[in-house]
Amino acid sequence: MTQVSVTPESFEMVFYDAAVIGEVVGEVAERLGVEESIKLEIDEESPLGRSKVTSYDPIELWVDGGALENTKRPRQFGSARTRDTIGRLLLRILDRRSGRFDETPADDELNLMQFAAWDVHCVGRLERLGIGGQRQRRLYQFRNRHGFTDLADAAFQQLWESSELSWTEIERISEGCRIS
Amino acid sequence: MRKIFPAEELARDARFIRQTNEQRLGDPRGARVAGGNTNERLAKLTPELANGPDRARALMHGIFVGEIQALEGAGRTCWDFEVGEDVPLALKLDMARQCWDEARHCEISVSLAEHMGTELGEFAENGLLYEAACNPDPVLRLTGVNRALEGLAIDVFNTMKEFGNLAGDPVLEFCEDWMLADEVTHVKMGSDWLRRLTENDKERLDKALEFQKVVDRLFSFNGFRGEDDDSPIQLTRRFRELAGFSDDEIDEIADMSREARVEAAS
Amino acid sequence: MTQTKRPREPFAPWDRRALPGLFDVEETAKRVGHYKWVEIKLFEALGGWVATVPELDVKMRLGTHCYHHAWHADLFDKRLPELREMKTDRLTVPANDHMVAFIDAMTEPEGPEMTIEKLVGVYRVLIPHKIAAYTYHRNATSEITDMPTVRILDFILQDEFNDWREGEMLIQSMIESDEEIDRAMVHQTRLEKLMLAAGGIAGPGSIGDPYVDLPEEN
Repeated sequence: MTQVSVTPESFEMVFYDAAVIGEVVGEVAERLGVEESIKLEIDEESPLGRSKVTSYDPIELWVDGGALENTKRPRQFGSARTRDTIGRLLLRILDRRSGRFDETPADDELNLMQFAAWDVHCVGRLERLGIGGQRQRRLYQFRNRHGFTDLADAAFQQLWESSELSWTEIERISEGCRIS
Repeated sequence: MRKIFPAEELARDARFIRQTNEQRLGDPRGARVAGGNTNERLAKLTPELANGPDRARALMHGIFVGEIQALEGAGRTCWDFEVGEDVPLALKLDMARQCWDEARHCEISVSLAEHMGTELGEFAENGLLYEAACNPDPVLRLTGVNRALEGLAIDVFNTMKEFGNLAGDPVLEFCEDWMLADEVTHVKMGSDWLRRLTENDKERLDKALEFQKVVDRLFSFNGFRGEDDDSPIQLTRRFRELAGFSDDEIDEIADMSREARVEAAS
Repeated sequence: MTQTKRPREPFAPWDRRALPGLFDVEETAKRVGHYKWVEIKLFEALGGWVATVPELDVKMRLGTHCYHHAWHADLFDKRLPELREMKTDRLTVPANDHMVAFIDAMTEPEGPEMTIEKLVGVYRVLIPHKIAAYTYHRNATSEITDMPTVRILDFILQDEFNDWREGEMLIQSMIESDEEIDRAMVHQTRLEKLMLAAGGIAGPGSIGDPYVDLPEEN
């Protein structure tokens, strides 16, 4: 199983267990075929849901504590939310390594529309793997960035259902439906 | 069926999880409010924020459970008090009307949750709103609920309506506009009944206004509702005036929020 | 060209409304007062129950129906002064003590597991009895002298039929076992007996008397 190291090892503000988190992250990595070790840093002070890849090789991830939280039970760990958060980050890593994403700008250079489009493509694939989901939530986010139009919905559908798009294709689909 | 039904016994199906006030206020990361946590230094809720759509989703869910509790509160006012002895029939008829309005708001909120991709019960529920609807004095109850909480609802709905407008989301904007119209009516009901029932009872009037302040303060976490440009929820002067608030009263709420913000920052 | 001087019947051929009615002003006011009392008790109960039922769809229906019955109470309240009763509270009373006992029993269930009993009391007992009494009144009163009451009852009956249908469908959707059928029937039977003792929502004669006295044999 994938080696996962979680920082911090114990939590003061939330009721998380580093071992349980490591287990869930390891399961997701295994399902996606990621075999190398993963470092996960958690900012337990933040209830927000931000997450990012801080290093692609070796794999190092950073998340707000809120990104792993059970929204029904604040301060408690949420495995479904964690699978969604970690799954998206790992798929981005796999995408960038695939050769299809060589022209992708660095993460901090991506705008909200680009992120939304790439997320849709990631979560659609995760749902088919039985890892994540919330299709309507992603559609709502996508519409917020691209417009509440039939054109945007069709673009979403394409991003969601496709299995191996390249960055150029994601960009084309995203740009094609934006409201000027 | 008992008179005065306790908040902890509000009936919910298995999807809904209740968070106690102790749990909410005891969260060292800050209490959840306006779709975020107070410690986030919440900015004004707009679609341009990276987490804007998700915060709007969470806030909409908060509105939804708030509508359920408002429905329950108005319903209890129909039951808890006797016509003639405690309240005039006309007051209860208004509360029954509010029941219907809140039931429609629940229906609207359920539809909006689906539109925004939120599952019912996806976020924890807090019973604070209903607790204000448990006051045994009908005048205090109406003042706390219809003037303080429904007043807050005016501000929240207007903020969400603007969010819908900025995002180009016609569904959200349409729904919030309709709910906003109802809330103005409910606040006006509260203002009218407060005036009528305390016409010759200055002491009761003072008590009711004090209770309204207590409720307003309870819902002023870190001053998230205010008139500053970066207030997450914008205080809505125009609609509050329509609902019977005087300029002084609105100024007071704005000051209260400002003080809470300063206090939180320090 | 229209012949303006050509006489027409005051009642068109299709207008078969009749002048006679079974109720005088006093009896009408008395009945309307009983109806108003029942409508008040019903909307209060529906409002109170909202917080006690966990089923979201039932919760929202009760909230909606609560207003329907409050509106009915208001319509009856406004009719009373037109029937020479200026102190409307004087006639806003139950038909008899049995009716009070019925309402007490109907509003007794509180627990979250008792939604079936709550719905049965309203939609299988009280509302059918209201529909019966209102229909009788509507058909038996003078459609000319008491048309304002007829008009009110027509509006109200429209609500009652719709609410009854919605309530009955909620009950059917909630009953999933023999045990639940028994619960519904036991509660309905208990309430029906109380309503029988009351003689209907307006007391004995709520829906008239269909029996005829046999003439003495020669």
